[in-house]
Amino acid sequence: MAGLSLPLAHHSEPIDPTLWEWLSTKMNHMLGVDSGSMVLILGSIIVLFPIVVMVLVWRRRTD
Amino acid sequence: MSSDRADVSGSPKKQGIYYGWYVIAALFFATFLAIGSRQGFGVFVKTWEQDWGISTATVSVAASVGWLVNGVSQPFVGRLTDVYGGRRVVVISLLIMAIATISVSYVTNIYGLIALYGFVISFASGGISPATTGVIIARWFEKKRGMAMAVLIAGGSVGGLIVVPFLSYVLMEFSWQTAYWLVGGLALALGVPLLLIVVRSNPEDMGLRIDGEIPSESGETEIVVRAVGPKFVEKWRDSLSSKPIWQLSIAYFVCGITTASISVHFVRWAISEDISTGTAALAFGVLSGINACGVLVVGLLSDRWQRKNLLGAVYLIRALAFISLIVLPGPSAIWAFAVIGGMSWLATVPLTASLTADVYGVRNLGTLFGFANMAHQLGGAAAVMLFGWAFTAWGSYDVPFAIGALTLVGAGIVSLSIREKKNSVRYVRVPVGASVDLVTDDSSLQGRS
Repeated sequence: MAGLSLPLAHHSEPIDPTLWEWLSTKMNHMLGVDSGSMVLILGSIIVLFPIVVMVLVWRRRTD
Repeated sequence: MSSDRADVSGSPKKQGIYYGWYVIAALFFATFLAIGSRQGFGVFVKTWEQDWGISTATVSVAASVGWLVNGVSQPFVGRLTDVYGGRRVVVISLLIMAIATISVSYVTNIYGLIALYGFVISFASGGISPATTGVIIARWFEKKRGMAMAVLIAGGSVGGLIVVPFLSYVLMEFSWQTAYWLVGGLALALGVPLLLIVVRSNPEDMGLRIDGEIPSESGETEIVVRAVGPKFVEKWRDSLSSKPIWQLSIAYFVCGITTASISVHFVRWAISEDISTGTAALAFGVLSGINACGVLVVGLLSDRWQRKNLLGAVYLIRALAFISLIVLPGPSAIWAFAVIGGMSWLATVPLTASLTADVYGVRNLGTLFGFANMAHQLGGAAAVMLFGWAFTAWGSYDVPFAIGALTLVGAGIVSLSIREKKNSVRYVRVPVGASVDLVTDDSSLQGRS
């Protein structure tokens, strides 16, 4: 799988697809949550983080 | 002579959470998106193979081009950061990356993927790398520089752990086009505004001082005397005649060799050792967890101890991890590598960036660390090919792993030989009368935006 690498790569090289299959199978087995719910859960985390930071900065500036 | 550290006249005061931590949070999110987006490439490889009727090797061309372009971009974006300020560079880079990521969803063949992912996204993501974000952090932090860098670098790890699964689930639920649209859209709608609102290139842009020291309220014009180290230089080329930049870069080159080779060849090695899928996945999870904790612990310690000692120790620990892959049987080796290697995996990044800033100041940090990053990436690319060649020739990874261990021992010795107490601004400051800049509140610093 030359040229494709793991998520433990130093900067931002692509994840190895073979390893990703291993990992995603394991995660699905462990979590037992359907993919639609996972999209919502992970998507919410991704969206909420910057919003929380912006709110905190806005509150700091208005104090 | 450059000016990097603010010693405010009178007694400095502190208030609330230092704004620099908000800057880190914003850069953390940008790093999170950039790294997640690039790592997510691997999730779609099999889909592209089926959709476009191409081989893994063909898709790998885009990944390989991206790896090299990302490495070569680092000195350029680093230089832009030194000249125009980190804020402009990270905002524009994320903007370009977001538009290109959305554009990938319209690609219908490998050539479009190579052009967009291999060149545009990979080059732009260089603008959201430690060569640029590290410069911003170094301008905001000095006393807690190591910890601040470590928190930022950990963001990359978290990005991989959250964004990659997110993309994978979007692929399962919708399509790869939707996944690229979502990540690009998130970067455009949230990442870019967050950087614009929160990030400033220098604390002076917010009326603050480095490390959170604030101006006195006397109303008088303050004179800020900025300490400089013995190796601080006006032009980045001048630093090339001193030893530390070469010691740091050579060690970082070895870092690239050893991380890239393991990243690409780990799966092949595990398969060759008959390691089960479950064991490999679990060991990988352990490695990721220890990796994130390790970088934070090292960052914390590096603000108290000599950074070069920690850097040397990290390389030597990684050498042990490589040796464990050779001397231990497969199932034991993978666990030993997960634990020992996990402690050292990312820790070199904040240590190398902080040490470069301590020795040479922040004026040319983007350029200097950009070159070190380029050496890291190019060394990694070469090592990946050589490890593959060695495995094909000998049917085993023992020889390349042994070479990896030897180079790591060399990197450890080189790092330990850095004379930090003689060269770092943490330990030696040029006398005020000899060479200082006087900066008032409204002064314009280079790299300000």
